[in-house]
Amino acid sequence: MLHHVPNSLPVHCVTTATRLAAVTSRPNEDQKRIRKKLNPVKMCADLSRTPRNLLVCERSSFLDEKNRLSFQVEQLRFNYKVSLLLPECGSAPSHLESTLNSFSRFYLVKKLPIYELLDKDFLQNAVYQGSVYGLSFGTRIDEDNCVALMPNGRLVLSLDKDSYEMLGFEGRPSRFNHRTCSRFVVPVDLKERSMAPGSPGYRRLLRALSSHLKLQTDFLISHHPGGGASLKALLSRYDWSERRPEVCSRRLSDLVCPDLRSCDPHSLLEWLGAADADVSCENSSSSFLSTLTCPEPTTTLAAALSASVSGLLLPQDVQRLVEQLRCHLQQEQTASWASVTVHGFADGPVSWGDEEHGVLTGGENFYNLLMFQDHTYRLHLATGPQDGCPP
Amino acid sequence: MHLQSLQSTKKQEKEKKILPLTTRVSTRFVWLVANCNSMAVFMDLNVLFCADRNRMKSLIETAAHLGFSTVAINYVFEPKAKKQEVPSPMPITELIGKLPMVQGHSCPIRVLNRLTVVMSEASHFRPNASEYRPFDLLAVQPTTEKLFHAACMLCDVDIICILVTERLPFFFKRAPINGSIDRGVVFEVSYASALRDITMRRYTITNAVCLMESCKGKNVILSSAAEKALELRGPYDIVNLGLLFGLSDTDSKEAVTSTCRAVLLHAEARKTASGIVYTMKSQQEVLRDTADSKLNLY
Repeated sequence: MLHHVPNSLPVHCVTTATRLAAVTSRPNEDQKRIRKKLNPVKMCADLSRTPRNLLVCERSSFLDEKNRLSFQVEQLRFNYKVSLLLPECGSAPSHLESTLNSFSRFYLVKKLPIYELLDKDFLQNAVYQGSVYGLSFGTRIDEDNCVALMPNGRLVLSLDKDSYEMLGFEGRPSRFNHRTCSRFVVPVDLKERSMAPGSPGYRRLLRALSSHLKLQTDFLISHHPGGGASLKALLSRYDWSERRPEVCSRRLSDLVCPDLRSCDPHSLLEWLGAADADVSCENSSSSFLSTLTCPEPTTTLAAALSASVSGLLLPQDVQRLVEQLRCHLQQEQTASWASVTVHGFADGPVSWGDEEHGVLTGGENFYNLLMFQDHTYRLHLATGPQDGCPP
Repeated sequence: MHLQSLQSTKKQEKEKKILPLTTRVSTRFVWLVANCNSMAVFMDLNVLFCADRNRMKSLIETAAHLGFSTVAINYVFEPKAKKQEVPSPMPITELIGKLPMVQGHSCPIRVLNRLTVVMSEASHFRPNASEYRPFDLLAVQPTTEKLFHAACMLCDVDIICILVTERLPFFFKRAPINGSIDRGVVFEVSYASALRDITMRRYTITNAVCLMESCKGKNVILSSAAEKALELRGPYDIVNLGLLFGLSDTDSKEAVTSTCRAVLLHAEARKTASGIVYTMKSQQEVLRDTADSKLNLY
């Protein structure tokens, strides 16, 4: 959830598909007060620079041929949570509910040794046919070793210094190392000829993962379009469980909502976060918990539906949900807009595409799609300080 | 790609220059941590010792719950009387018993012993004293400018503590600070006294900001000096606290992670002879580490 940001964004030039990139630094109100106290001291800390966030805003239309929405949705490969906000809706319409419930199942494997991902049968049946989405579970990107297996056949290991030196396979230092090199990234393309089973590169990596550094983590894995069938051989050897994405929905009444077309991006995302987290935007004088307010001008919705799905979600399912929401907007006369927010994993080694991802104090990477009835949409893509630029 | 490789070799050379002793023992350290699945990252190297076992136990359990993978129990020694003896550390198993698991990891918290000598005269710190041997980390807290200069340039210690409970009687000069950075000695700022008292809070922030102006955020660690479990704070909170002290966000994160790791490596190297040979008191054997030629990790 974003904090209250009072400063303005640098706005770039406007085209048919307008795209604004805003790099913000957020002076906190409390820090300003502390800075005033330090004035008697000649030297004081530079408190105006806080960790940066990157927010890319785009306005376009579904009818425009050049719109890149499907590309952008597909690029965020590892999705953790999708939350919907639908106005004037008491309960989920049946087709939307069936879409939410039909998100692909995924599997959680306990203590999977990572060299198993190089198994010949697994590569033949799963990696080379279709796309495998795999992510280490329960590992933190700034503390532990993390692994990601991407649908394009790339295996990315994000290792700390000691593990990297023990592994003995070529990699590069992380982009986000500051003074000391404490994090290293080992990207491996499993579909390349040099990594074909039996080749020297393949044998070297296998030896490194099975004898030098016995990397073993809990692993979330999913396959598209094969489902569990292509993963059976790998799963049967370890302790695995099939999981369904968790769906929950709730009805909001008397939701105060801003003018979505003209609202500025930071306030809009803040309001959406408050609505999703069930934080009241009343800012009453007796409550000290939250001073968030809804941006002016406001309207009140009698009812709204907030639904969310969480788990290892595939971008293809998200794409299908977006299509269903478009149909829903065309059919329903009362609903004038719909909002979808898709969050990526905070502790994944990659965020968008093949871009490296890190956690400084927060690892947010998400996008929000606000669709209107006239086929136009507003897309906001946000990342934290240790991330590349979203597509 | 070429530029990147140049930059990385430059960085590695710099690392070599700043920490000449520590890099040589990196494989031994690696062997030591190989038992633990994940690397020790967040560390709190100053947890004050008290004789009450329950208090120590709750302190260590809170630290493990907050996500610290290593803590160092600090024995503070202030030689006022003439023949005062250096305290000897209590064995960890006697003090705590079973070590709690770090939150989110599968390995238990590491507990080390540390000695802090409060120096008000030059004779208070005796170099290479045998009483300092049982301690894993050695720290010194100078109280005057001359002693600070001596501690930075000469004393064989790992950590130099910065006064936080009163106004600094001297200004930091660049020369001794750069000297200590070259040697691999770090400066420590503790925050627990800032939690107790509002005047201490001002002194802590003032002194810390003075330090950061001179050292530019390099070789600084942030630790608690906590006496009770309630005075400990989570690692990300300490990263935010570092922003108040004048560190940048990445420097602040390093102050809790990689600089602490560098201190542990420095302490390991200090106990050995140039980081190559160390002795163990078991069956009169001297273990020789001949892996220096293999240590081309950089």
